[in-house]
Amino acid sequence: MTDVRAPETDPFDPAAEQDDQPGQGPASAAAGAFGLADWLRWAWRQLTSMRIALILLFLLALGSVPGSMLPQEGNDPAGVRQYYTSHPGLAPVLNHLGLFNVFGAPWFAAIYLLLFASLVGCVVPRTFRLAGSARLLPPRAPRHLARLPRSAEYPTALPPAGAVEVAARVLSGDGFRLRRPADPADPAGTGHWVSAEKGYLREAGNLLFHLALLGVLISVALGGLFGYKADRLLVQGDTFADTRSALDEFYPGRFVTAADLGPFTITLNKFDASYIPSGPQRGQPAAFDARISYTEQPGGPTRSGHLEVNRPLSIDGAKVYLIGHGYAPEFRVTDARGQVVYNGATPFISGTSGNFLSEGVVKVPDAQPEQLGFTGVFVPTAVDVGGTLESVFPAADNPVVSLIAYAGNLGMNTGAPQSVYQLDTSGMQRLTASPQVLAPGQSLRLPSGQGTITFTGYVPWVSLAITHDPGQLPALICGIAALGGLLLSFMIRRRRVFVRASAGEHGTTVQVGGLARTDAGGGFEAEFASLAAELRSAHEQAAQRPAAHHRQEGE
Amino acid sequence: MLRVRRRTVVVAAAGLTGVLLTVVLVAGWAGSGNSGVSHVDGNASAVVYAAGHRPMAPAFTATTLTGSTLSFSSYRGKVVVLNFWGSWCVPCREEASTLSAVAAQYQPSGVSFLGVDVRDTTASAEAFANRFHIGYPSVSDPSSVITLDFTAVVPIAGTPTTLVIDRTGRVAGAVFGMATYPELTAILAKVTGKAA
Repeated sequence: MTDVRAPETDPFDPAAEQDDQPGQGPASAAAGAFGLADWLRWAWRQLTSMRIALILLFLLALGSVPGSMLPQEGNDPAGVRQYYTSHPGLAPVLNHLGLFNVFGAPWFAAIYLLLFASLVGCVVPRTFRLAGSARLLPPRAPRHLARLPRSAEYPTALPPAGAVEVAARVLSGDGFRLRRPADPADPAGTGHWVSAEKGYLREAGNLLFHLALLGVLISVALGGLFGYKADRLLVQGDTFADTRSALDEFYPGRFVTAADLGPFTITLNKFDASYIPSGPQRGQPAAFDARISYTEQPGGPTRSGHLEVNRPLSIDGAKVYLIGHGYAPEFRVTDARGQVVYNGATPFISGTSGNFLSEGVVKVPDAQPEQLGFTGVFVPTAVDVGGTLESVFPAADNPVVSLIAYAGNLGMNTGAPQSVYQLDTSGMQRLTASPQVLAPGQSLRLPSGQGTITFTGYVPWVSLAITHDPGQLPALICGIAALGGLLLSFMIRRRRVFVRASAGEHGTTVQVGGLARTDAGGGFEAEFASLAAELRSAHEQAAQRPAAHHRQEGE
Repeated sequence: MLRVRRRTVVVAAAGLTGVLLTVVLVAGWAGSGNSGVSHVDGNASAVVYAAGHRPMAPAFTATTLTGSTLSFSSYRGKVVVLNFWGSWCVPCREEASTLSAVAAQYQPSGVSFLGVDVRDTTASAEAFANRFHIGYPSVSDPSSVITLDFTAVVPIAGTPTTLVIDRTGRVAGAVFGMATYPELTAILAKVTGKAA
């Protein structure tokens, strides 16, 4: 950077960057003159510095770690409750720190909002500078080309103006951007020269990378503001409409309301799960297939489709994923009056014990005279192991339920909404001393004529995740563009070539000088050599051309 | 001159970021402005829609808990209290006696009551109606499709929700969440009084 004067704004010139960089902090500023505006400017420069952005990015990654190690309210509320029971001392502390809802915690939001501000504050000014730099002309040719990293010199028979003209034609043909002196004949001027620069695509790639990075940020924000996620457990044979009251969980983005849900309905016609029957992988899932029919809007045509794991169904801008399955035993309950007060499938949830040993509760709030409640375990393939039931295979080959009956107050007539998977037995009296095991079709008669419960059968259920992320596709496109831009800016070198022709005692001397602005990968030496050879041969040819004309005329 | 331009760009970027952050943050608190909606008893969950701001209630035909077919259009010309409920829903159980009492009070003066039993089984729903002496019919909506139809015109966020439909078949009032006696009677007084 000694001989070649850098263009005024060059983002790749470290010296140009430094002039407006923060000092070493406010302490380095002139004593006493550091007002509020200076503090704000200093804080803004710190925030938008690469160092702070990297620290924030690291913090973001660090902050996501508990999100993947601890159960989260959003996707695993049962896991959170389980954690509460297994770590009663630690869980409230973790909850207070927001560690069960990391991605919604204020401290996490603080990190990503600061990172967002830092990136925008860094990328936007850079984008402007890169756009300016991509349009810039090459600098004037330096006076002493021999001092450049690469240089060559040879005589030519052409006059200086003609030599530069030929060189300009060659360089232009090679795709260089040229700069010529305003008036080479001006004795006060800088003589006959041409400057050429190539590799502006590097700047374009860099620009593309920065713009795409902004695009990714905006896409992510779009998804967060206008997307939603919802869950629904659907029993085989049932239908649900995509409306708030039919969803088990609903996590809307900031600008999403229940009215933004797509008006589709989905029916689970049949769910099949097959498992490996033998060998070391016995009991591992072989295939799942949920056959569904759906309408995209009320009164619309009914279509049929399949849902498989990782093969979601796209309906009305939303994606419906199959994320789990289980068994819903069917019960019929009659109360003391002989009235059927419950008759239907009740989803049970499989725990950690494997082979779909599932737990659930049956609540019969309108049994009379007393409310009835049952806690149950569904065992798909039951084997009696020393008095306790175990499930030895996930398919329902020998299904039984084991029930404990309660009567009293379910706590459902006032107060907070209850989980359908938990029975509050604090106001209830246990009716059966030991769990009662029922096979399909068998009944349990409750003591003192309080009623009967019959295990009538079972159906499978699936759990569905419905997600809508309007930022997903833009984020993908921007991600690809960012990668492309980055590759361009890595692979393309900016290099400059100068040609100067001056008249001397022994005719015209052509000087060629070159330098690569960023020659990380090398290779400019060979390129310069071949370019210098090309220029030389062009000059020789041009010098001979008048003679060739004469010969042709002579014949 | 160059420094000035760079500073301008930096200030512009800072401003843009500030505006973005403000939009994101303010959006969290900004409520949507409602016109033509007045709150009953200063309660945000009970509203009356002014004439001219009443959305048309969708038509539906469904099966009642007792197995007969019911067409909602047959209620045209009457004020209808439409209650979305489920036997599984705790606040529905809390408001059931209130609804039963309001029905007994207003049915003689020509107000009709109809339940929409959401995500329920017939056995549980009948046991519920039996326990709370619900004297009016309910249609089954196990899949929430009726709820979905109404969500297109009224922001139903869950169960229970109670809508009051005027004589022209338009939604004139609503209670989102558990309905109380003062809320229901206040809405009914306005709707029956205006439409009379």
